[in-house]
Amino acid sequence: MNLKTRTRMARAVLGAAVATTLLAGCAVGGATDTSSSSSTAAVAGTSASSAAGSAEATGTVAGSSYIVSTTEPGDLNPGKQITAYDQDMAMYTSLTSVATDGTVTMAAAESVESDDATTWTITLRSGWTFHNGEPVTAQSYVDAWNATAYGPNAWANSGQLAEIVGYDDLNPETGEPTVKEMSGLKVVNDTTFTVQLSAPDGQFPLQLSQAMTGLFPMPKAAFTDLDAYNKQPIGNGPYMMTTPHEENQDIVLTAYPDYAGTPAKTETVTFKMYTDTSTAYTDALAGNVDVVGVGPEKIVSAVTDFGDRLYVNEAPGIAFLGLPTWDPRYSDVRVRQAISMAIDRDSINEAIYAGKYTPATSFTPPTEPGTPENACGEWCTYDPTKAKELLDAAGGWTGSMEITYPGGFGLDELYKAYANQIRRNLGIEDVTTKATADFAEFAQIRTDAQIGGPYFSRWGALYPSQQNTLKAFFVPGGGGGCTNCSALQPQEVQDLIAQADGQVDQDKAIEFYQQAQAVLAEQLPIIPMFYEKYMFVTSEKITALPSSQGSPVWAGITVS
Amino acid sequence: MTRFVLRRLLELLVVFIGVTFVIYALVFALKGDPIASLAGDRPLPATVVATLRARYHLDDPLISQYWRWLTGVFRGDLGTDFTGRSVSERMASRWPTTIVLALTAWVLEVVIGAGLGLISGLRQGGTIDRAVLLGTIVISSIPIFVVAVTSQLLLGVNWGWVPVAGTQEGWPVAFLLPAACLAVFGLAAVSRLMRGSVIDSVRSDYVRTLWAKGLSERRVVGVHVLRNAGIPVLTFAAIDLGYLLGGAIIVEGIFNMPGIGQLLFSAIRNHEGPVVVGVSTALVIIFLVISALVDIANSLLDPRIRRD
Repeated sequence: MNLKTRTRMARAVLGAAVATTLLAGCAVGGATDTSSSSSTAAVAGTSASSAAGSAEATGTVAGSSYIVSTTEPGDLNPGKQITAYDQDMAMYTSLTSVATDGTVTMAAAESVESDDATTWTITLRSGWTFHNGEPVTAQSYVDAWNATAYGPNAWANSGQLAEIVGYDDLNPETGEPTVKEMSGLKVVNDTTFTVQLSAPDGQFPLQLSQAMTGLFPMPKAAFTDLDAYNKQPIGNGPYMMTTPHEENQDIVLTAYPDYAGTPAKTETVTFKMYTDTSTAYTDALAGNVDVVGVGPEKIVSAVTDFGDRLYVNEAPGIAFLGLPTWDPRYSDVRVRQAISMAIDRDSINEAIYAGKYTPATSFTPPTEPGTPENACGEWCTYDPTKAKELLDAAGGWTGSMEITYPGGFGLDELYKAYANQIRRNLGIEDVTTKATADFAEFAQIRTDAQIGGPYFSRWGALYPSQQNTLKAFFVPGGGGGCTNCSALQPQEVQDLIAQADGQVDQDKAIEFYQQAQAVLAEQLPIIPMFYEKYMFVTSEKITALPSSQGSPVWAGITVS
Repeated sequence: MTRFVLRRLLELLVVFIGVTFVIYALVFALKGDPIASLAGDRPLPATVVATLRARYHLDDPLISQYWRWLTGVFRGDLGTDFTGRSVSERMASRWPTTIVLALTAWVLEVVIGAGLGLISGLRQGGTIDRAVLLGTIVISSIPIFVVAVTSQLLLGVNWGWVPVAGTQEGWPVAFLLPAACLAVFGLAAVSRLMRGSVIDSVRSDYVRTLWAKGLSERRVVGVHVLRNAGIPVLTFAAIDLGYLLGGAIIVEGIFNMPGIGQLLFSAIRNHEGPVVVGVSTALVIIFLVISALVDIANSLLDPRIRRD
């Protein structure tokens, strides 16, 4: 995380990189009211089932509470938040909700439908209100999206709306925009609005899911005092905030009594600020905090300290080893294959992650539906003999190799291990690691292609579609830029991704994404290393820690 | 005397401008765009980056950025961080914790340090003296985070005597352990300084005369030795208070105390330049003011200092 991401960073989880920053904004989390029932496949346009308040709606246990460790958030407004991810997850309900297996259900939306994947009709459930009692209407979404997208506001999550027709008008390359509303958004009636995209995108319903906080609704009251809203958001979710956040004070959320979805199981959630994740861990040992994200440096001790109170959640994150293909030494695919096959992912996993991670065998994490098993094939399998042969066949290696990663995120051991494996198994004598001062420096030298060797690369998807990970890494500008993506972005892969995006039918989309992965396996522009897990430890008080896409579902947590 | 004070204040201003410029230049010389790094590995849209860069004048030359900032400081405005929050407001809520922590540490340092120094000075060469000498060497050679983390685990987690982290339980319980960790270094210095002064005093003619007059030990030590030996110790202690206020970064981080040091700690990690500069500047000011007061106070006590 935060790496600024704090948010999540704090949560730290990332095995790779979790810095507050990095994570911030990365993973996906909870807030869903319908998780249990309806599991139609991830399909655009399914109008889902029953929803709110079905099955095990048991209501809120009065007086119950738990404490979560977090880091000081900057902005709480979901359109701007980078580090208030968890709090916003608890205070808002997204339009759709995606479970860890990629199943999409409707949450605040009654249905999300399209015939051509370009124009989408979103129908809201009726009877929903914001925490101030104001009804949630189609206008609430349109207003919020326009505000988030409006360039001069410079809200951090603006990019989540970039596909909507009219986004460019609100974000001209020079000068001030002349309009304040996107032409692609139309309110049909109180509970219906349409969204026109600038290109077909069958993955749109997944983009409306929980982690895309830039797509949350805002009440009219928010616009009268945006600064106040930033300190005390008024959401449509299971928990509400009753007092504005003050610097470094706990954020206390209480169950919203008129919530139209499945009510929160626990009445009060306290988000307690920690600067240092290892202090939070120590405080969890003493029983003073109930839910704490575990950073990579603590995984091994967490196994013994917490036993079955260590939760290892499948996450939409994947760690790669980036390759500086601007350096001609890396242009031969056999060299790239050799590096990949020289690294024993299993032994690194045991040594560094206590065996809790999963070595990657494809180019997207398994929580993204349709991710092929073993797309990478033998190239991601440890075989030092073959690796050496490949390198020799490619003409051997000249010079040194320096592996670069951002410092301060607990990644040192991992990258040292990569370096050792490459040195030993490929016989390259001079393999070193270099940590940059922080993420900002890393981002700059990566963007400027000033890196002379393999480098840190990871992605935590905000919505679990192969689209998210593949676009971020292999389409120029596809993730809004290229901070740590693949330097080599084959045209063939880009074409296949575009074809996949255009499908309304998820099965067809998946076929094309899988074809793109097959091409990636042939060319190996970047090396898949690990599927990430987000890990949490809890106090004995927590009796259930349900999660979705790696992050806890705050409203579903029960306590004793 | 007025001239001396004026000159001292003028020096203070020059040092202030020099030091803050260096801090400012260092922070803004850091590699990497602070705005682009706001969101970590998730890039911000180009228009957002451009808008924020313009809003915070990040494309201006260093000198004009610094000038804008400096004139702001003289208007009492330390600027805002990159999310638009006022740096002085962010600091305001944190001063009380830091001040309480530093004062607690300071009292521990002065009382225990001076006490140990007095005893070992009076018993020079004895077992207690050796024990104190050895103890202070050992303790001041252990890195502060080791002391802090170890004591946190033992006293907080394993034995449960004190809270592990945070300030919820209030003063003194929540502050004692962090303050003790913070006081460790100053304590060693104070005790050695005190010991030296006491030894000097005890050997001096006037003390010998007092003994010869048959005064009680309590009176000789309590009134005469302590008063004279205490002056250098108090001078040191006053300046050390400035260090303590600024030096709490590691301790506040480890014990999760919501103070100024913790703010600086996370600001550096998050590349929040304006916060780093703001906090450092406040600390520089405090330190400069304390040293100026000490100098002025000393010059009042000893007119020779004024004359140089």
